Amino acid sequence: MINLLHAEWIKLRTVTMNWVLGIIAGAFPLAVTLLTAYFNGDSSEFGTSDLASVLGGTTVVCALLCGVIAAASITSEFGFGTIRPTFAATPQRLRVVVAKGAVVVLATTALATVVQLVGWFAGSAIARGRGATIDLAEVPTAVPAMVGAVVLTALMSLAGYGFGLITRSTPVAVSILIVWPLIAEGLVGGLLGLATDNDDIPRWMPFQAGIRLALVELVDDGPSRLMAGGYFGAVALLLVALGAWAVNRRDA
Amino acid sequence: MISVSDLSKRFGAKVAVDHLAFDVRAGVVTGFLGPNGSGKSTTMRCMLALDRPESGVALFDGKMYRELRQPLREVGALLDAGYVHPGRSGRNHLRWLAASNGIARGRVDEMLEMVGLGSVAAARLRSYSLGMRQRLGLAGVLLGDPHTIILDEPANGLDPEGIRWIRDVLTHLARQGRTVLVSSHQLSEMALMAEDLVVIGQGRLIEQSTVGDFVDRYADRWVRVQSPNAAALVAPITAAGGVVASVTTSTLDVRGLDCVSIGEMAAQRQVVLHELSPQTGSLEDAFLKATATAQEYRSASMAEPPASMTEPTASMTEPPAPSGAGQ
Repeated sequence: MINLLHAEWIKLRTVTMNWVLGIIAGAFPLAVTLLTAYFNGDSSEFGTSDLASVLGGTTVVCALLCGVIAAASITSEFGFGTIRPTFAATPQRLRVVVAKGAVVVLATTALATVVQLVGWFAGSAIARGRGATIDLAEVPTAVPAMVGAVVLTALMSLAGYGFGLITRSTPVAVSILIVWPLIAEGLVGGLLGLATDNDDIPRWMPFQAGIRLALVELVDDGPSRLMAGGYFGAVALLLVALGAWAVNRRDA
Repeated sequence: MISVSDLSKRFGAKVAVDHLAFDVRAGVVTGFLGPNGSGKSTTMRCMLALDRPESGVALFDGKMYRELRQPLREVGALLDAGYVHPGRSGRNHLRWLAASNGIARGRVDEMLEMVGLGSVAAARLRSYSLGMRQRLGLAGVLLGDPHTIILDEPANGLDPEGIRWIRDVLTHLARQGRTVLVSSHQLSEMALMAEDLVVIGQGRLIEQSTVGDFVDRYADRWVRVQSPNAAALVAPITAAGGVVASVTTSTLDVRGLDCVSIGEMAAQRQVVLHELSPQTGSLEDAFLKATATAQEYRSASMAEPPASMTEPTASMTEPPAPSGAGQ
């Protein structure tokens, strides 16, 4: 398995698109957070919760882009035909699926961790320099939100990887990954909520539940951070399991 | 040794491979021939566990491909040189392959030098020509120093030097005792390279034999007679049961009689001979004859030749002999 992880790591890091997407995924939340800390740090209303919220909120974009990287890591193999030499080199396909998934999820999780650490420490330093009071002890949900943002990125990568395994097509997988959380879930959840007169349904849409991981303040009666994360994680794992089953069953 | 038995594969209603069985022995290059769409590539994919066959099994020295823990060390295969990521360098392509089977990193540069790509190892694969990709593919095949080698159309895109190089490499590898199975449409190359043949058509085995036996069985045979007085031999040859095709006024191609009887006829009539040689059709002729009923995709000119091609030549008593050179 170590050999396979090494091989998949070489594949991941030797494609320029992954670096470009990774840099955008990391730079966007950092840029927004640091600029917000700089421009709003001198406001008396700006505090710990605001900084953590900006960082958590923008990390959703980072998570989506990491999902795209994860999806493309497998769909590009089908697109360019490299899945054949891959499976010829390792005919035990499930081992390949596990190794590739592990590498891409670990890489995106590491990226999200760096983003949270740099975003928080640099953002708080800038905000303090502008006169704001930043103290984690003031907002007990700030650290769980930041940890949740990292977990959200990992799970979004897992879900993207699952879509990639199932669809085998980069445009299709990326479209689903973008359209489902941003549009489809809102529509489906809203319509179901209206039809059943139940406000909770939208909050139980998988990606909406996942995004709760990165929220600083959970003001509604929806699922707790842990429950929402567990639910989204189960959906992501189910997608990967379905994809792995399909890959193992189909011709390469 | 490769042993394929009862291999069948369908794509929907179409039967691509139909209970195919053949063996490939070690120590020689075995050509894998068949018309377009005959199932060669599908067979190779099934052998390598890339496609799921409906039935049958392929064994490599007694083991199924899926059972191999580090297959690149036992079986090197190149199915399509285009299976590369264009944004990756040639060196990185081989590095991930090597890493997946625990092959030392140093072997990558060694193989790149061996196939002549050392100077472009860092270039992205989108800048590689098809010939360069074929060389890279062969480097990948040889990474693990495997005992069995499977190549699908390895000479595609190669220049004459490259084709000769790959022929020399494969014959050298076979002489080392390895099992080498190569599919190719370049039958003249195959005739120079292969000792054994597996010929399939419409997914079924047509023939498994040595190249010599295959040509003997399927290719045309005739005797070429050259004489300044060739016309004097036509009547006695015909009377003796031979069939004469006049290629030129001084050359006869004769079927149905051997060199000895024609030579004796010429001696009895004091006809001077400039040439009297047995001729055999080429591997291409034999292949076309063997697969005539198994051609799935035929060109219009073969199925319905233009009228100008169907009219017999006035000077000939029979259609011209196959174009292949004699052996």
